Amino acid sequence: MTARLFVLDVPENVPIVEIARGYPGVSLEKVGPYFVLAAESNVTVDRRSTGVRHAVWYSWVGGLEGWQIEQWDRDAFRLVPR
Amino acid sequence: MSELSAKHLVSGVDHAAFPTFDPVATVRFYRDTLGFPVVHSICAAGWGPDDHPDFIHFFFDIGNDDRIAFFYYFGLEAPETSRGKGDVYARFGSDTPEFFVRSRHIALHVNSEEHLLEYRRRLDASDWPVEMQIQHETIESIYTHDPNGYFFEITRALRPVTPQEDLDANLTIDALVDILQQPGASMDALLVRKAELIMERAENWQDEQEAERELIPSPEGPVRR
Ligand SMILES: [Fe+2]
Repeated sequence: MTARLFVLDVPENVPIVEIARGYPGVSLEKVGPYFVLAAESNVTVDRRSTGVRHAVWYSWVGGLEGWQIEQWDRDAFRLVPR
Repeated sequence: MSELSAKHLVSGVDHAAFPTFDPVATVRFYRDTLGFPVVHSICAAGWGPDDHPDFIHFFFDIGNDDRIAFFYYFGLEAPETSRGKGDVYARFGSDTPEFFVRSRHIALHVNSEEHLLEYRRRLDASDWPVEMQIQHETIESIYTHDPNGYFFEITRALRPVTPQEDLDANLTIDALVDILQQPGASMDALLVRKAELIMERAENWQDEQEAERELIPSPEGPVRR
């Protein structure tokens, strides 16, 4: 089943979305002012590759559907199927 | 010395912030009873020292571009405050985590980085130097403690607020009120509920925004182009 992650479209979040959409198997759509990142399997976003500051890194997630957050720390943000 | 050094540069309260153990009643009081719009929210994962819990930081418009803000910490037990004087969250025990103590503060607003740095300069030259300068999600702040020990912030916007942040704040608060009907609610439950509300309401919101943009002023009020 496809799982989806919602991210509000504000300038701070764009670098993270740009990195995540480039991962294999991840697609990007838009629902209203939210980016929707969708994939069939696990997704891991490497914090350093995004270049965002700490406050943004720890608050960029807007909603979860079909996924749960397994890791969210200084190294990575990891989603696994629920 | 710069020409700013003699000027009064702050422009009122940006936000006054308090912890809450009852966001549902808080929303009922400020939004539903007083009619203060929810204008901003942060849903943040806990990190750093103190075993910081996941938290929601949410803001109500109190007019004049000023805001009252609350912190809700997932899983944090309310302190015993039935005895003693002072308002209920003023009696901090010695084991109270620092993040909680600091959640109660006033923040004054300045209009530019230049003005923020001017206050940094004044404080750094005083007995109360700046303890922290932090770029948050959309604001940059300096912090110190005043001579009474009150935590004190001066802040500036890093960019103008976007309309979608108001939508997002409202979805956050509605999701939070929903999930707190069940005990043991977590950030996970909040994000799952919020995804449902995004699916229900975000497209409509976007359509309304676009329709509004097509309105033109007329003597009888706005009309569609
Ligand atoms: Fe603050």
